[in-house]
Amino acid sequence: MKIVVFVSQTLDTEARVAVSSSGDSVATDDVKWILNPYDEFAVEEAIQTKEKLGGEVIVVSAGPARGIDAIRQALAMGADSGVHIKDDGFAETDNYTIAKIVASEIKKIDGVDFVLTGMKIIDDESVQVGIQLAEELGLPHVSLVSKVVEVDASKLVCQKEIDGGSVVVEVPLPALITCPDAMNEPRYASLPNIMKAKKKPVNEVTLDDIDFDTLGISRDAVGKSGSKVTTVKIEVPVIDRKLKIIKGSDDTTVKGEEIAQAVQELVQLLRDDAKVL
Amino acid sequence: MSNEIWVIADMKMDGSIRKVSFEALSEAKRSMQSKIGGPLCAVLMGSGVADKAEALGKYGAEKVYVVDNAHLKDFNPDGYVKALSELVAKHQPHIVLAGNTSFTEDYIPRVAARTGSGLAMEAIDMGLTDDNRLTVKRYSHSSKAISEIEFKAGNTMMATIRPNTYKEEESPVSPEVINEQVDISDADIKVKVVNLETKMSDRPELTEAERVVAGGRGLGSEENFKYIYDLADVLSAAAGATRAAVDAGYCPYDMQVGQTGKAVSPTLYFAVAISGAVQHFSGMGTSKVIVSINKDPETPIFAKSDYAICGDLFEVLPVLSEELKKALAE
Repeated sequence: MKIVVFVSQTLDTEARVAVSSSGDSVATDDVKWILNPYDEFAVEEAIQTKEKLGGEVIVVSAGPARGIDAIRQALAMGADSGVHIKDDGFAETDNYTIAKIVASEIKKIDGVDFVLTGMKIIDDESVQVGIQLAEELGLPHVSLVSKVVEVDASKLVCQKEIDGGSVVVEVPLPALITCPDAMNEPRYASLPNIMKAKKKPVNEVTLDDIDFDTLGISRDAVGKSGSKVTTVKIEVPVIDRKLKIIKGSDDTTVKGEEIAQAVQELVQLLRDDAKVL
Repeated sequence: MSNEIWVIADMKMDGSIRKVSFEALSEAKRSMQSKIGGPLCAVLMGSGVADKAEALGKYGAEKVYVVDNAHLKDFNPDGYVKALSELVAKHQPHIVLAGNTSFTEDYIPRVAARTGSGLAMEAIDMGLTDDNRLTVKRYSHSSKAISEIEFKAGNTMMATIRPNTYKEEESPVSPEVINEQVDISDADIKVKVVNLETKMSDRPELTEAERVVAGGRGLGSEENFKYIYDLADVLSAAAGATRAAVDAGYCPYDMQVGQTGKAVSPTLYFAVAISGAVQHFSGMGTSKVIVSINKDPETPIFAKSDYAICGDLFEVLPVLSEELKKALAE
């Protein structure tokens, strides 16, 4: 089975997020770049599928030169080879164009059976690019797959949660799925595997290799000016809350009689101050 | 490009229209329609749905495009992608709005790709530029930032809206119903439902509830979540949970609030034994009033709360449930 995983490199949002001087992006001076956490679940699922059915796992990513690190991490987890579509303009390019370009490279790989990607890219919080990739590939998709029930050479049966229930669907392969964190436990890359990953083949592609005419977009679609949607401003949200914290007499938990008093005070605040009862 | 504003009527499992669809119609009526000038329209897709057009008129929809097709029964994204894409290509609406639900999140991106439309998802605020291009504010970077997105002219502009962001407001008109024929065949439906399980609950659905009571890992067990359910029932609230509580098996995944689970924006949010990690906060930080109950005096959630009691939930919650019951009965 030939399996493709679309991965992205994102900045580590566990760290502090600051606005850049231009005001329309996040400062990237001292940030750590990581493999998008949700993509780890996609890579893990791909490797497990390969272990079960045989075949190979190919990682595809679009990003600047540093993006190779995300590809190498997926290779260290157990993917076999990579495709790096390298350009500095992708960070400001909308999902619509990225999906088209990534799809055009995946189409160059013969006989793809199964495509996976994370359910969300954590920096711009995009849930759409994976689904749009399926559209550009002309493949059916199932988003937010909580469990793969069955997969063989011709079909995939999987479960997904929806508002007000859950659904089990069957879809013929090739198909694309997007992966949330509940679906598996991504493996750690061992040191020997990290070393081995450095020798695995990664095919580097530039915009010169992309046939924009066939995609129906111009080369200018890559970058801020060509996007259908652009970020014009980024703010760090201000948390403006009332901060009325009721504590016990020793400045810790309420105890004994204090409990009833605290509850009464809270109910009164909700009724008269917040007016939400 | 026409000057129509469209709102997608998203439906629940029981066939009723989700509140967020009315919220979107109300906001489009209030803040967009007079500037853009065209009619406010709703799009009603499903099987046996024609009788719901009136309900959309109640919130200002002057035209209702109806696609009534047996292939649009239950969970069926392929059918919806085809139907909505054909309608958008045919009528070229200026703006298309939908509530951000697990279903629209699944199929709207494909419609945007197929029709060449711009798309911004999970808006917490919207506006228009002087030349009537849509602007959208949305959380990014694990909710540590708010990004303002501007659309280019020349394409349909699509946005999904976080439920409970806007107030619904009646503005009744008698809508013109336009029946649209979309040819959907079995071959169009690639993703086939094998089993559909609906969870019937007497509590309101998490994403559209006015009040939410959520518990964290500190509850300690599935049995102890009864404390959360009891308080939720007193408040007619939905019950939620952190990822840690779901991972520990205390409650089902559909209760998860946060980066991976659902985003909620109720009037009142109770965070019980929840520390307020960014992964959770990103799913509830837009709640109007946040109340936390936590025994750790140093817990970070206190700095993000309007009201809080520093106390043991097992001691505080039963008393609180009783007091609230009394207060609400008055």
